[in-house]
Amino acid sequence: MAAMETLGILEEVEALVSDKHQVVSYKWLSRNFLVPSNDAKRLLQDLVDRRGSSLDVVYTVSGWLNNNPPSYKVRLVNGVGLEKAKQDFDGNCSVQVYSVQASIPRDSAVLWNMESIQAHELAKQPSPESNCLRDNRLCGIINSFVKRNVEGGHATINSAPQANNVEIRRPSGGLTGSGNSMGPPSDQNKVQQLPLMAGRQSSNMVKEVKTDKSGIKGHDQNTKSSAVVDKAPSLPSKGLGGNNSSKNGGSLSKLWGHATVKSKPTIAPAINGTEAKSNAIEALDDVMNDNEDEDVNVKRGSNGRKRRVVFDDSDDECEDAVDLSSPGKTLPVNNADITGQIEDTVVHDEGKKPDFTACNQLLNGVGSLALGQPGDSKSSCAQTNDIKDNAGASKAAPNASKRNKVLKTWIDERGREVTEVVSERDETEKKSSETKSTVKASADVTTKPSSRELASKKSTLAMGNGKAGGSKAGAKRDPKQGNILSFFKKV
Amino acid sequence: MLELRLVQGSLLKKVMDAIKDLVNDANFDCSSASFALQAMDSSHVALVALLLRAEGFEHFRCDRNISMGMNLGNMAKMLKCAGNDDIITIKGDDGSDTVTFMFESPTQDKIADFEMKLMDIDSEHLGIPDAEYQAIVRMPSAEFMRICRDLATIGDTVVISVTKEGVKFSARGDMGSANIVLRQNTTVDKPEEATIIEMNEPVSLTFALRYMNSFTKATPLSNTVTLSLSAELPIVVEYKIAEMGYIRYYLAPKIEDDEEETKPEA
Repeated sequence: MAAMETLGILEEVEALVSDKHQVVSYKWLSRNFLVPSNDAKRLLQDLVDRRGSSLDVVYTVSGWLNNNPPSYKVRLVNGVGLEKAKQDFDGNCSVQVYSVQASIPRDSAVLWNMESIQAHELAKQPSPESNCLRDNRLCGIINSFVKRNVEGGHATINSAPQANNVEIRRPSGGLTGSGNSMGPPSDQNKVQQLPLMAGRQSSNMVKEVKTDKSGIKGHDQNTKSSAVVDKAPSLPSKGLGGNNSSKNGGSLSKLWGHATVKSKPTIAPAINGTEAKSNAIEALDDVMNDNEDEDVNVKRGSNGRKRRVVFDDSDDECEDAVDLSSPGKTLPVNNADITGQIEDTVVHDEGKKPDFTACNQLLNGVGSLALGQPGDSKSSCAQTNDIKDNAGASKAAPNASKRNKVLKTWIDERGREVTEVVSERDETEKKSSETKSTVKASADVTTKPSSRELASKKSTLAMGNGKAGGSKAGAKRDPKQGNILSFFKKV
Repeated sequence: MLELRLVQGSLLKKVMDAIKDLVNDANFDCSSASFALQAMDSSHVALVALLLRAEGFEHFRCDRNISMGMNLGNMAKMLKCAGNDDIITIKGDDGSDTVTFMFESPTQDKIADFEMKLMDIDSEHLGIPDAEYQAIVRMPSAEFMRICRDLATIGDTVVISVTKEGVKFSARGDMGSANIVLRQNTTVDKPEEATIIEMNEPVSLTFALRYMNSFTKATPLSNTVTLSLSAELPIVVEYKIAEMGYIRYYLAPKIEDDEEETKPEA
């Protein structure tokens, strides 16, 4: 720390102590001036060295007591009782300045008043905002594996009860902290010599081990999905501050990961542009990969243009699409009833989801969500089928095909509705006939849309309300754009 | 008293073209050693730093440090009046609120004086710390211009990734995506056509192409361009001005809020 800065802080502390009669503890000092807690202690020691005569000092004495059995104690003693207190400890006790004040307060609670108020204020700050209390940045003991959980009960520290943990007795001429073998610990101020405190601190935190991302692809996507899910509910509060997530992505995503928002995917029409498309695709990927994820999650980028929609269950979206996790499930064959034609529905696990999403997006873009309604469902589901078939034909990736099953429903010669689950391998022989039926099914659609065409259609749809965003980003301020002033300082 | 005589007058014209799109008004800081400019664009996203050393001028006289606020658009208009072969002399008097550009034809048979009003501009001089960059790419400037122009047709932003394989420029947009990879290439006839990648650490940053394309307006000044990248730092796009100095552009990266966004679609 620069000498000038130190001098400035010391002067200010002196003024506070002598003019305002404030108790300045190292904790308060550390948080107020954002200096590491150990530096704060050194600063106070410095002050005491210079101006010791005019100040009353409370020291922390910590170490092993001479008693048998030996116990570890942290005691607060005033300057007068210091030597005496040292004798109670074995040779290796550590002595540090706890606080400086104009006079030792009659009521020991005064010692903690200021820092308690300060801690309250810090804890009351809006949750996305990080402060020194939340991120533990000033602490002498830092465990890089510990992630702080702001919204959880753990990280909000109330220092008032801590004051109660320590009994202060004055009669012996010193402030003697006993009873609890700890000093007045707070999560952000540590005496480095105290392994006990380190232990306690980590127990106060939410631990999480970073997921190893080097797994197989599918695994990787799962990992991402959880990140997405965690970030999702933050959308109302995710302002500019949210942009930092790339820097400390893991921890921030956890900070946001508390309340889950449930809603129907009716916000999907707000999806614009390619980014949105990819987001939706990814999001859908996530859901498909993680069947346990039942929530509908919405994520919006900081610029407000992007949303991520995670559909909770594909069954809701396309009634004739059946997840393979329930192969025996029969499906309502509205479309078959309506059209009286053979309807093929293919549900793919991996490779075909993008197309699926594209279809969903198209539906949403058109504004028809009601798949069950005859008019819309006929064309849109026909497209769905078509896309899927295309995908099945062109993209039969080896790993995708192994779980691909086809659910066929048709009206047989006797007018009965027949539903059958056929695996992809069996299906290949019937491919030609199936394709025919698809063509029939998509007869209502003027052209046979490939997934690519759909994408372009989608983008044209999105143009209506989304294109402006792109050009606007050029002309107006883009919240994602960094500012040069945040890198270079004015001179 | 200020008098700067530049035989290669076209150079000053090129410099103006390289800056005027990015910055409207700026202070030219003239000292006994150099003629320099530092300015941010109006949105404070990009910064341009120009340095023309005294040695590059045929005659350089600057009695005391002086800062001249100029409207770059107007200055460019005046310099347009100079012929490409003209000798340009910048003249200023102490305490005067004008600057004079004198254009002399090579044969000395035509001399033109253009006087331009100066402006008071609040100087926002930024301290640019020396930094070690994780990756430095030197490449032909025309190639860089071409890449930026091409990618701007695809998307608004470019992701520049430097790996040991090479440097990759990628953009995505409504119509699709584009990736341009340049590999290190030192086996060329002319050294200015080489692509040289010095990399300590792989780095990948996203930038607004709009600004990149403004930077490439400096292409006529130099055959090569140097891109210096570091995570958490603005990219530096530097064009050396032969034997005289440089023009450097600093551009703050765009903050990516998702890794997935840069990930190519599966």
